[in-house]
Amino acid sequence: MRFLRSVAAPVVGVAVFAIVWELLVQLLDVRRFVLLAPSAIAQEFLDQPSFYLTNTAVTGRHMAIGLSLSLAVALVAGALMAAWRFVEDAAQPVLILILVTPWVAYMTSVVIWLGFGEQPIIFMVAFTSFPVFVFGVVGGLKSADPATRELFASVDARRWEVLWRLRLPSALPSIFTTLRFALGLGLAAAYFSEGSALQIDGLGAIGRRAALDQTSGAEVLWTTIACSAALGIAGLMAISAAERWLLRWHASQR
Amino acid sequence: MAATRASVLVDEHDEARAGPPARSWRRARAVRSQPVTPRLELSAVAKTFGPTTRGGPTVEALAPTTLTVADGEVVTLLGPSGCGKTTLLRMIAGLEQPTSGTIAIEGAPPASARREKRIGFVPQSPALLPWRSVRANAQLLLDLNGRRRPPTSAPSVDRLLEEVGLSDFADAAPHELSGGMQQRVGLVRAFALGAPLLLMDEPFAALDEMTRADMRHLLIHLCEPLKTSVVFVTHSIAEAAFLSDRVAVMSPRPGSVVDVVDVPFPHPRQAVLEDTEEFFHLTTRLRETLHAGSRR
Repeated sequence: MRFLRSVAAPVVGVAVFAIVWELLVQLLDVRRFVLLAPSAIAQEFLDQPSFYLTNTAVTGRHMAIGLSLSLAVALVAGALMAAWRFVEDAAQPVLILILVTPWVAYMTSVVIWLGFGEQPIIFMVAFTSFPVFVFGVVGGLKSADPATRELFASVDARRWEVLWRLRLPSALPSIFTTLRFALGLGLAAAYFSEGSALQIDGLGAIGRRAALDQTSGAEVLWTTIACSAALGIAGLMAISAAERWLLRWHASQR
Repeated sequence: MAATRASVLVDEHDEARAGPPARSWRRARAVRSQPVTPRLELSAVAKTFGPTTRGGPTVEALAPTTLTVADGEVVTLLGPSGCGKTTLLRMIAGLEQPTSGTIAIEGAPPASARREKRIGFVPQSPALLPWRSVRANAQLLLDLNGRRRPPTSAPSVDRLLEEVGLSDFADAAPHELSGGMQQRVGLVRAFALGAPLLLMDEPFAALDEMTRADMRHLLIHLCEPLKTSVVFVTHSIAEAAFLSDRVAVMSPRPGSVVDVVDVPFPHPRQAVLEDTEEFFHLTTRLRETLHAGSRR
Protein backbone atom coordinates (compact mmCIF):
# COMPACT_ATOMS: atom_id res chain seq x y z
CA MET A 1 0.00 0.00 0.00
CA ARG A 2 2.78 2.36 0.92
CA PHE A 3 4.72 1.39 -2.21
CA LEU A 4 1.61 2.05 -4.26
CA ARG A 5 1.32 5.55 -2.86
CA SER A 6 4.96 6.58 -2.97
CA VAL A 7 5.91 5.16 -6.40
CA ALA A 8 2.79 4.28 -8.35
CA ALA A 9 0.87 7.47 -7.64
CA PRO A 10 3.42 9.90 -9.14
CA VAL A 11 3.86 7.61 -12.17
CA VAL A 12 0.11 7.56 -12.75
CA GLY A 13 -0.02 11.34 -12.39
CA VAL A 14 2.71 11.96 -14.97
CA ALA A 15 1.24 9.36 -17.35
CA VAL A 16 -2.22 10.93 -17.24
CA PHE A 17 -0.66 14.36 -17.81
CA ALA A 18 1.27 13.10 -20.87
CA ILE A 19 -1.78 11.36 -22.36
CA VAL A 20 -4.00 14.43 -21.99
CA TRP A 21 -1.25 16.57 -23.51
CA GLU A 22 -0.79 14.18 -26.44
CA LEU A 23 -4.54 13.98 -27.09
CA LEU A 24 -5.01 17.75 -26.97
CA VAL A 25 -2.22 18.32 -29.48
CA GLN A 26 -3.57 15.62 -31.84
CA LEU A 27 -7.26 16.52 -31.59
CA LEU A 28 -6.91 20.30 -31.71
CA ASP A 29 -4.09 20.11 -34.27
CA VAL A 30 -1.92 22.57 -32.29
CA ARG A 31 0.93 24.14 -34.24
CA ARG A 32 4.31 22.54 -33.48
CA PHE A 33 5.94 25.72 -32.14
CA VAL A 34 3.07 26.38 -29.78
CA LEU A 35 3.07 22.95 -28.23
CA LEU A 36 4.76 19.77 -29.38
CA ALA A 37 3.30 16.38 -28.52
CA PRO A 38 5.26 14.36 -25.97
CA SER A 39 5.64 11.52 -28.46
CA ALA A 40 7.37 13.89 -30.91
CA ILE A 41 9.68 15.15 -28.14
CA ALA A 42 10.60 11.58 -27.21
CA GLN A 43 11.21 10.79 -30.89
CA GLU A 44 13.51 13.83 -31.28
CA PHE A 45 15.45 12.94 -28.14
CA LEU A 46 15.92 9.32 -29.21
CA ASP A 47 17.12 10.41 -32.65
CA GLN A 48 20.20 12.07 -31.16
CA PRO A 49 20.42 11.27 -27.43
CA SER A 50 24.12 12.07 -26.99
CA PHE A 51 23.60 15.58 -28.43
CA TYR A 52 20.92 16.34 -25.85
CA LEU A 53 22.71 14.66 -22.97
CA THR A 54 25.92 16.61 -23.64
CA ASN A 55 24.08 19.89 -23.77
CA THR A 56 22.08 19.07 -20.64
CA ALA A 57 25.37 18.36 -18.87
CA VAL A 58 26.73 21.75 -19.98
CA THR A 59 23.68 23.57 -18.62
CA GLY A 60 23.81 21.47 -15.46
CA ARG A 61 27.42 22.49 -14.95
CA HIS A 62 26.66 26.20 -15.41
CA MET A 63 23.83 25.91 -12.91
CA ALA A 64 25.83 23.91 -10.35
CA ILE A 65 28.89 26.21 -10.46
CA GLY A 66 26.74 29.34 -10.32
CA LEU A 67 24.62 28.12 -7.41
CA SER A 68 27.66 26.86 -5.45
CA LEU A 69 29.47 30.18 -5.83
CA SER A 70 26.37 32.06 -4.84
CA LEU A 71 25.76 29.91 -1.77
CA ALA A 72 29.40 30.18 -0.67
CA VAL A 73 29.36 33.99 -0.86
CA ALA A 74 25.89 34.08 0.73
CA LEU A 75 27.15 32.06 3.72
CA VAL A 76 29.90 34.58 4.39
CA ALA A 77 27.64 37.58 3.79
CA GLY A 78 24.85 36.01 5.84
CA ALA A 79 27.18 35.31 8.76
CA LEU A 80 28.31 38.94 8.75
CA MET A 81 24.73 40.15 8.57
CA ALA A 82 23.60 37.86 11.38
CA ALA A 83 26.51 39.01 13.56
CA TRP A 84 26.19 42.77 12.98
CA ARG A 85 22.83 44.43 12.84
CA PHE A 86 24.33 47.42 11.02
CA VAL A 87 25.62 45.26 8.18
CA GLU A 88 22.21 43.62 7.88
CA ASP A 89 20.36 46.93 7.74
CA ALA A 90 22.83 48.24 5.17
CA ALA A 91 22.68 45.14 2.97
CA GLN A 92 18.91 44.66 3.05
CA PRO A 93 17.92 47.36 0.47
CA VAL A 94 20.69 46.29 -1.91
CA LEU A 95 19.56 42.68 -1.81
CA ILE A 96 15.95 43.65 -2.37
CA LEU A 97 17.05 45.77 -5.35
CA ILE A 98 18.81 42.74 -6.87
CA LEU A 99 15.78 40.58 -6.13
CA VAL A 100 13.17 42.81 -7.77
CA THR A 101 15.13 44.11 -10.79
CA PRO A 102 14.30 41.88 -13.80
CA TRP A 103 17.59 40.22 -14.65
CA VAL A 104 16.48 39.61 -18.25
CA ALA A 105 16.62 43.39 -18.75
CA TYR A 106 20.30 43.88 -17.93
CA MET A 107 21.47 40.56 -19.34
CA THR A 108 22.89 42.24 -22.48
CA SER A 109 24.95 44.64 -20.38
CA VAL A 110 26.42 41.74 -18.41
CA VAL A 111 27.43 40.00 -21.65
CA ILE A 112 29.11 43.19 -22.90
CA TRP A 113 30.86 43.56 -19.54
CA LEU A 114 32.11 39.97 -19.14
CA GLY A 115 32.36 39.05 -22.82
CA PHE A 116 30.93 36.03 -24.62
CA GLY A 117 31.52 32.67 -23.01
CA GLU A 118 30.79 31.00 -19.72
CA GLN A 119 31.50 33.91 -17.37
CA PRO A 120 28.30 35.89 -17.98
CA ILE A 121 26.24 32.70 -17.65
CA ILE A 122 27.74 31.68 -14.33
CA PHE A 123 27.57 35.27 -13.12
CA MET A 124 23.87 35.48 -13.94
CA VAL A 125 23.05 32.18 -12.21
CA ALA A 126 24.96 33.31 -9.11
CA PHE A 127 23.66 36.87 -9.13
CA THR A 128 19.96 36.04 -9.49
CA SER A 129 20.03 33.40 -6.74
CA PHE A 130 22.21 35.43 -4.35
CA PRO A 131 19.53 37.48 -2.51
CA VAL A 132 17.38 34.39 -1.98
CA PHE A 133 20.33 32.53 -0.50
CA VAL A 134 21.31 35.41 1.77
CA PHE A 135 17.78 35.79 3.14
CA GLY A 136 17.66 32.04 3.79
CA VAL A 137 21.05 32.00 5.49
CA VAL A 138 20.38 35.05 7.69
CA GLY A 139 16.95 33.78 8.73
CA GLY A 140 18.40 30.35 9.48
CA LEU A 141 21.39 31.62 11.45
CA LYS A 142 19.10 33.77 13.59
CA SER A 143 16.75 30.87 14.30
CA ALA A 144 19.22 29.24 16.71
CA ASP A 145 17.55 28.41 20.05
CA PRO A 146 18.05 31.31 22.54
CA ALA A 147 18.46 28.97 25.53
CA THR A 148 21.24 27.12 23.72
CA ARG A 149 22.87 30.43 22.82
CA GLU A 150 22.96 31.33 26.52
CA LEU A 151 24.41 27.92 27.32
CA PHE A 152 27.19 28.62 24.82
CA ALA A 153 27.69 32.07 26.38
CA SER A 154 27.93 30.55 29.88
CA VAL A 155 31.31 29.02 28.99
CA ASP A 156 32.34 31.99 26.85
CA ALA A 157 32.25 30.03 23.57
CA ARG A 158 34.21 31.74 20.78
CA ARG A 159 32.30 33.53 18.05
CA TRP A 160 33.27 30.96 15.41
CA GLU A 161 32.16 28.15 17.76
CA VAL A 162 28.72 29.70 18.07
CA LEU A 163 28.62 30.03 14.28
CA TRP A 164 29.98 26.61 13.41
CA ARG A 165 28.53 24.45 16.17
CA LEU A 166 25.19 26.17 16.74
CA ARG A 167 24.10 28.74 14.15
CA LEU A 168 25.12 26.94 10.99
CA PRO A 169 23.48 23.59 11.82
CA SER A 170 20.37 25.52 12.93
CA ALA A 171 20.38 27.28 9.56
CA LEU A 172 20.53 24.09 7.46
CA PRO A 173 16.76 23.49 7.22
CA SER A 174 16.12 26.99 5.93
CA ILE A 175 19.14 26.80 3.59
CA PHE A 176 17.71 23.65 2.01
CA THR A 177 14.32 25.27 1.54
CA THR A 178 16.00 28.24 -0.15
CA LEU A 179 18.09 25.93 -2.30
CA ARG A 180 14.92 24.56 -3.91
CA PHE A 181 13.76 28.04 -4.91
CA ALA A 182 17.24 29.04 -6.04
CA LEU A 183 17.45 25.96 -8.26
CA GLY A 184 14.46 27.11 -10.32
CA LEU A 185 15.88 30.64 -10.57
CA GLY A 186 19.34 29.36 -11.47
CA LEU A 187 18.05 27.03 -14.15
CA ALA A 188 16.05 29.80 -15.81
CA ALA A 189 19.04 32.16 -15.62
CA ALA A 190 21.36 29.51 -17.10
CA TYR A 191 19.01 28.68 -19.98
CA PHE A 192 18.35 32.28 -20.92
CA SER A 193 21.97 33.43 -20.49
CA GLU A 194 23.30 30.63 -22.68
CA GLY A 195 21.06 31.92 -25.44
CA SER A 196 22.13 35.54 -24.93
CA ALA A 197 25.84 34.90 -24.50
CA LEU A 198 26.11 33.39 -28.00
CA GLN A 199 27.35 30.12 -26.57
CA ILE A 200 27.68 27.07 -28.82
CA ASP A 201 26.81 24.50 -26.13
CA GLY A 202 24.06 24.37 -23.57
CA LEU A 203 20.31 23.79 -23.75
CA GLY A 204 19.68 27.53 -23.83
CA ALA A 205 22.06 28.06 -26.74
CA ILE A 206 20.57 25.35 -28.99
CA GLY A 207 17.08 26.32 -27.88
CA ARG A 208 17.65 29.96 -28.91
CA ARG A 209 18.99 28.91 -32.35
CA ALA A 210 16.09 26.45 -32.80
CA ALA A 211 13.54 29.18 -32.07
CA LEU A 212 14.72 30.99 -35.22
CA ASP A 213 14.62 27.83 -37.39
CA GLN A 214 11.22 27.58 -39.08
CA THR A 215 11.71 24.09 -40.58
CA SER A 216 12.78 21.75 -37.77
CA GLY A 217 13.21 24.19 -34.88
CA ALA A 218 10.10 23.22 -32.92
CA GLU A 219 11.33 19.68 -32.24
CA VAL A 220 14.72 20.93 -30.95
CA LEU A 221 13.20 23.77 -28.92
CA TRP A 222 10.68 21.56 -27.16
CA THR A 223 13.26 18.85 -26.48
CA THR A 224 15.54 21.41 -24.79
CA ILE A 225 12.55 22.45 -22.70
CA ALA A 226 11.95 18.83 -21.69
CA CYS A 227 15.65 18.35 -20.94
CA SER A 228 15.67 21.50 -18.76
CA ALA A 229 12.71 20.16 -16.80
CA ALA A 230 14.47 16.82 -16.35
CA LEU A 231 17.59 18.66 -15.20
CA GLY A 232 15.54 20.58 -12.63
CA ILE A 233 14.00 17.37 -11.31
CA ALA A 234 17.42 15.73 -11.07
CA GLY A 235 18.67 18.77 -9.17
CA LEU A 236 15.76 18.63 -6.73
CA MET A 237 16.38 14.92 -6.16
CA ALA A 238 20.04 15.61 -5.42
CA ILE A 239 19.02 18.33 -2.95
CA SER A 240 16.56 15.97 -1.25
CA ALA A 241 19.22 13.27 -0.94
CA ALA A 242 21.69 15.73 0.58
CA GLU A 243 18.98 16.97 2.93
CA ARG A 244 18.10 13.48 4.11
CA TRP A 245 21.76 12.91 4.92
CA LEU A 246 22.63 16.27 6.50
CA LEU A 247 19.33 16.79 8.31
CA ARG A 248 18.77 13.23 9.53
CA TRP A 249 18.46 14.74 13.03
CA HIS A 250 15.75 17.19 12.02
CA ALA A 251 12.04 16.75 12.71
CA SER A 252 11.22 17.14 8.99
CA GLN A 253 13.16 13.96 8.16
CA ARG A 254 11.55 11.68 10.72
CA MET B 1 25.95 21.40 60.53
CA ALA B 2 24.09 24.02 58.63
CA ALA B 3 24.36 26.33 61.63
CA THR B 4 28.18 26.15 61.76
CA ARG B 5 28.31 26.68 58.03
CA ALA B 6 26.21 29.77 58.42
CA SER B 7 28.44 31.26 61.12
CA VAL B 8 31.56 30.59 59.07
CA LEU B 9 29.84 32.34 56.24
CA VAL B 10 29.44 35.55 58.16
CA ASP B 11 33.19 35.66 58.94
CA GLU B 12 34.13 35.00 55.35
CA HIS B 13 31.71 37.59 54.22
CA ASP B 14 33.22 40.34 56.36
CA GLU B 15 36.77 39.44 55.52
CA ALA B 16 36.20 39.37 51.82
CA ARG B 17 34.47 42.72 51.94
CA ALA B 18 37.50 44.31 53.60
CA GLY B 19 39.58 44.57 50.43
CA PRO B 20 38.65 45.71 46.93
CA PRO B 21 37.28 42.85 44.78
CA ALA B 22 40.20 42.77 42.33
CA ARG B 23 42.78 42.28 45.08
CA SER B 24 40.90 39.56 46.89
CA TRP B 25 40.53 37.70 43.62
CA ARG B 26 44.30 37.58 43.09
CA ARG B 27 44.77 36.53 46.70
CA ALA B 28 42.25 33.76 46.26
CA ARG B 29 44.06 32.46 43.21
CA ALA B 30 47.33 32.38 45.09
CA VAL B 31 46.02 30.45 48.09
CA ARG B 32 42.94 28.70 46.85
CA SER B 33 43.13 25.87 49.37
CA GLN B 34 42.42 28.24 52.25
CA PRO B 35 38.77 29.17 52.71
CA VAL B 36 39.38 32.89 52.45
CA THR B 37 37.04 33.77 49.61
CA PRO B 38 33.54 32.34 49.51
CA ARG B 39 32.52 30.42 46.41
CA LEU B 40 29.99 33.06 45.53
CA GLU B 41 29.45 36.45 47.03
CA LEU B 42 26.72 38.93 46.14
CA SER B 43 27.04 42.42 47.64
CA ALA B 44 24.03 44.70 47.29
CA VAL B 45 23.32 43.42 43.79
CA ALA B 46 20.40 45.27 42.21
CA LYS B 47 18.82 45.38 38.79
CA THR B 48 16.58 48.00 37.24
CA PHE B 49 15.07 47.61 33.78
CA GLY B 50 14.19 50.58 31.63
CA PRO B 51 13.18 53.24 31.05
CA THR B 52 12.61 52.06 27.50
CA THR B 53 13.24 54.34 24.52
CA ARG B 54 9.48 54.69 24.02
CA GLY B 55 9.10 56.19 27.45
CA GLY B 56 8.11 53.01 29.28
CA PRO B 57 8.36 52.94 33.06
CA THR B 58 11.42 51.96 35.05
CA VAL B 59 10.99 48.56 36.68
CA GLU B 60 12.95 47.59 39.72
CA ALA B 61 13.47 43.88 39.02
CA LEU B 62 15.67 43.23 42.02
CA ALA B 63 16.23 45.34 45.14
CA PRO B 64 19.80 45.34 46.56
CA THR B 65 20.53 41.73 47.56
CA THR B 66 23.42 40.42 49.61
CA LEU B 67 24.04 36.68 49.78
CA THR B 68 26.98 34.32 50.19
CA VAL B 69 27.33 30.71 49.08
CA ALA B 70 30.03 28.57 50.69
CA ASP B 71 31.99 25.67 49.18
CA GLY B 72 29.73 22.70 48.55
CA GLU B 73 26.65 24.56 49.67
CA VAL B 74 23.31 24.34 47.86
CA VAL B 75 21.32 27.57 48.05
CA THR B 76 17.86 27.81 46.56
CA LEU B 77 16.21 30.99 45.34
CA LEU B 78 12.55 30.29 46.03
CA GLY B 79 9.77 32.58 44.93
CA PRO B 80 6.82 33.20 42.64
CA SER B 81 7.34 34.31 39.06
CA GLY B 82 8.35 37.95 38.74
CA CYS B 83 10.35 37.99 41.97
CA GLY B 84 13.65 38.48 40.14
CA LYS B 85 15.10 35.06 40.90
CA THR B 86 15.92 34.25 37.30
CA THR B 87 17.31 37.76 36.76
CA LEU B 88 19.56 37.25 39.78
CA LEU B 89 20.77 33.89 38.44
CA ARG B 90 21.44 35.35 35.01
CA MET B 91 23.50 38.12 36.60
CA ILE B 92 25.55 35.56 38.53
CA ALA B 93 26.12 33.70 35.24
CA GLY B 94 27.31 36.95 33.67
CA LEU B 95 24.51 36.85 31.10
CA GLU B 96 23.15 40.13 32.43
CA GLN B 97 24.79 43.14 34.09
CA PRO B 98 23.66 44.31 37.53
CA THR B 99 22.66 47.98 37.75
CA SER B 100 24.60 48.26 41.00
CA GLY B 101 26.46 46.06 43.47
CA THR B 102 29.14 43.44 42.88
CA ILE B 103 29.17 39.71 42.20
CA ALA B 104 32.27 37.62 42.91
CA ILE B 105 32.73 33.96 42.00
CA GLU B 106 35.76 32.71 43.93
CA GLY B 107 36.70 36.37 44.11
CA ALA B 108 36.45 36.99 40.38
CA PRO B 109 33.73 38.85 38.49
CA PRO B 110 31.26 36.71 36.50
CA ALA B 111 32.83 37.68 33.17
CA SER B 112 36.18 36.15 34.08
CA ALA B 113 34.54 33.16 35.79
CA ARG B 114 32.74 32.52 32.51
CA ARG B 115 35.96 32.84 30.54
CA GLU B 116 37.63 30.31 32.82
CA LYS B 117 34.63 27.97 32.59
CA ARG B 118 33.95 28.05 36.33
CA ILE B 119 30.19 28.14 35.86
CA GLY B 120 28.08 25.12 34.96
CA PHE B 121 24.76 26.43 33.67
CA VAL B 122 21.56 24.37 33.52
CA PRO B 123 18.88 26.26 31.59
CA GLN B 124 15.14 25.85 32.01
CA SER B 125 14.78 23.89 28.77
CA PRO B 126 17.24 21.03 28.23
CA ALA B 127 18.68 22.95 25.23
CA LEU B 128 20.18 19.83 23.66
CA LEU B 129 21.63 20.08 20.16
CA PRO B 130 19.44 17.76 18.05
CA TRP B 131 22.31 16.90 15.67
CA ARG B 132 24.52 15.65 18.48
CA SER B 133 24.16 12.28 20.21
CA VAL B 134 23.35 12.15 23.92
CA ARG B 135 27.02 11.57 24.75
CA ALA B 136 28.20 14.40 22.50
CA ASN B 137 25.61 16.69 24.07
CA ALA B 138 26.83 15.79 27.55
CA GLN B 139 30.34 16.61 26.33
CA LEU B 140 29.33 20.00 24.88
CA LEU B 141 30.51 22.37 27.61
CA LEU B 142 33.90 20.63 27.71
CA ASP B 143 34.23 20.97 23.92
CA LEU B 144 33.33 24.64 23.75
CA ASN B 145 36.11 27.12 24.43
CA GLY B 146 38.20 23.94 24.54
CA ARG B 147 41.56 25.42 25.47
CA ARG B 148 40.15 26.37 28.85
CA ARG B 149 39.87 23.51 31.25
CA PRO B 150 37.84 23.91 34.42
CA PRO B 151 39.94 23.87 37.57
CA THR B 152 38.39 20.89 39.33
CA SER B 153 38.31 17.34 38.13
CA ALA B 154 34.91 15.88 37.36
CA PRO B 155 33.71 12.33 36.74
CA SER B 156 33.82 11.36 33.06
CA VAL B 157 30.79 11.85 30.85
CA ASP B 158 30.27 8.08 30.58
CA ARG B 159 30.45 7.68 34.38
CA LEU B 160 27.87 10.42 34.84
CA LEU B 161 25.58 9.02 32.13
CA GLU B 162 25.72 5.69 33.95
CA GLU B 163 25.01 7.48 37.22
CA VAL B 164 21.79 8.99 35.83
CA GLY B 165 20.79 5.74 34.12
CA LEU B 166 21.40 6.80 30.53
CA SER B 167 24.29 4.47 29.59
CA ASP B 168 22.10 2.62 27.11
CA PHE B 169 21.12 5.88 25.44
CA ALA B 170 24.60 7.38 25.06
CA ASP B 171 24.49 7.03 21.27
CA ALA B 172 20.80 7.88 20.92
CA ALA B 173 19.55 11.13 19.46
CA PRO B 174 18.00 13.65 21.91
CA HIS B 175 14.55 13.39 20.31
CA GLU B 176 14.44 9.71 21.25
CA LEU B 177 14.46 10.63 24.96
CA SER B 178 11.58 11.65 27.22
CA GLY B 179 11.51 15.13 28.77
CA GLY B 180 12.92 13.89 32.07
CA MET B 181 15.71 11.98 30.34
CA GLN B 182 16.59 15.05 28.28
CA GLN B 183 16.91 17.16 31.39
CA ARG B 184 19.12 14.45 32.94
CA VAL B 185 21.46 14.94 29.97
CA GLY B 186 21.36 18.66 30.79
CA LEU B 187 22.48 17.87 34.36
CA VAL B 188 25.25 15.55 33.17
CA ARG B 189 26.43 18.26 30.76
CA ALA B 190 26.80 20.71 33.65
CA PHE B 191 28.39 18.24 36.08
CA ALA B 192 30.84 16.93 33.45
CA LEU B 193 32.31 20.42 33.15
CA GLY B 194 33.60 20.12 36.71
CA ALA B 195 32.84 23.77 37.42
CA PRO B 196 32.99 24.83 41.09
CA LEU B 197 29.64 26.63 40.77
CA LEU B 198 26.48 25.24 39.20
CA LEU B 199 23.63 27.60 38.32
CA MET B 200 20.26 25.97 37.68
CA ASP B 201 17.31 27.92 36.34
CA GLU B 202 14.15 25.96 37.21
CA PRO B 203 15.52 22.93 35.38
CA PHE B 204 12.60 20.69 36.37
CA ALA B 205 9.80 23.22 35.85
CA ALA B 206 8.51 21.62 32.66
CA LEU B 207 8.37 18.08 34.07
CA ASP B 208 5.44 16.26 35.62
CA GLU B 209 5.27 16.00 39.42
CA MET B 210 6.52 12.39 39.66
CA THR B 211 9.46 12.93 37.31
CA ARG B 212 10.26 16.12 39.20
CA ALA B 213 10.59 14.22 42.48
CA ASP B 214 12.86 11.64 40.83
CA MET B 215 14.98 14.43 39.38
CA ARG B 216 15.59 16.19 42.70
CA HIS B 217 16.58 12.87 44.29
CA LEU B 218 18.97 12.29 41.40
CA LEU B 219 20.39 15.80 41.66
CA ILE B 220 21.24 15.47 45.34
CA HIS B 221 22.81 12.09 44.58
CA LEU B 222 25.06 13.77 41.99
CA CYS B 223 25.81 16.80 44.17
CA GLU B 224 26.72 15.25 47.49
CA PRO B 225 29.98 13.45 46.62
CA LEU B 226 31.34 16.46 44.71
CA LYS B 227 32.01 19.63 46.65
CA THR B 228 30.13 21.67 44.07
CA SER B 229 28.26 24.78 45.12
CA VAL B 230 24.82 25.13 43.60
CA VAL B 231 22.46 28.05 43.17
CA PHE B 232 19.10 26.58 42.30
CA VAL B 233 16.16 28.68 41.16
CA THR B 234 12.71 27.20 41.72
CA HIS B 235 9.12 27.96 42.57
CA SER B 236 8.63 24.51 44.11
CA ILE B 237 8.70 24.47 47.92
CA ALA B 238 9.39 20.72 48.07
CA GLU B 239 12.34 21.09 45.73
CA ALA B 240 13.79 23.93 47.79
CA ALA B 241 13.35 22.06 51.09
CA PHE B 242 14.80 18.80 49.85
CA LEU B 243 17.82 20.11 47.94
CA SER B 244 19.05 23.11 49.89
CA ASP B 245 21.34 23.89 52.76
CA ARG B 246 19.71 27.31 52.80
CA VAL B 247 16.64 28.71 51.11
CA ALA B 248 16.51 32.36 50.08
CA VAL B 249 12.79 33.17 50.00
CA MET B 250 12.03 35.94 47.52
CA SER B 251 9.04 38.15 46.92
CA PRO B 252 8.01 40.31 43.97
CA ARG B 253 7.52 44.07 43.39
CA PRO B 254 10.33 44.80 43.79
CA GLY B 255 12.08 41.43 43.72
CA SER B 256 13.99 40.93 46.93
CA VAL B 257 15.10 38.29 49.42
CA VAL B 258 12.67 38.47 52.37
CA ASP B 259 14.26 35.72 54.45
CA VAL B 260 17.07 33.14 54.35
CA VAL B 261 15.95 29.89 55.97
CA ASP B 262 18.47 27.29 57.19
CA VAL B 263 17.62 23.71 56.27
CA PRO B 264 18.62 21.51 59.21
CA PHE B 265 18.49 18.08 57.51
CA PRO B 266 21.76 16.12 57.50
CA HIS B 267 23.49 14.74 54.42
CA PRO B 268 23.25 12.35 52.61
CA ARG B 269 19.60 13.06 51.99
CA GLN B 270 17.26 10.22 51.10
CA ALA B 271 13.96 10.32 49.30
CA VAL B 272 12.15 9.21 52.49
CA LEU B 273 13.04 12.55 54.04
CA GLU B 274 10.09 14.02 52.18
CA ASP B 275 7.68 11.87 54.23
CA THR B 276 8.95 13.02 57.64
CA GLU B 277 7.25 15.43 59.99
CA GLU B 278 10.31 17.73 60.05
CA PHE B 279 10.12 18.07 56.29
CA PHE B 280 6.46 18.93 56.54
CA HIS B 281 7.22 21.59 59.19
CA LEU B 282 9.91 23.14 57.02
CA THR B 283 7.73 23.27 53.92
CA THR B 284 4.96 24.84 56.00
CA ARG B 285 7.35 27.47 57.28
CA LEU B 286 8.63 28.20 53.78
CA ARG B 287 5.06 28.54 52.51
CA GLU B 288 4.20 30.97 55.31
CA THR B 289 7.32 33.03 54.58
CA LEU B 290 6.40 33.10 50.89
CA HIS B 291 2.87 34.27 51.65
CA ALA B 292 4.02 36.85 54.17
CA GLY B 293 6.46 38.16 51.56
CA SER B 294 3.89 38.51 48.83
CA ARG B 295 1.42 40.27 51.19
CA ARG B 296 3.86 43.06 52.02
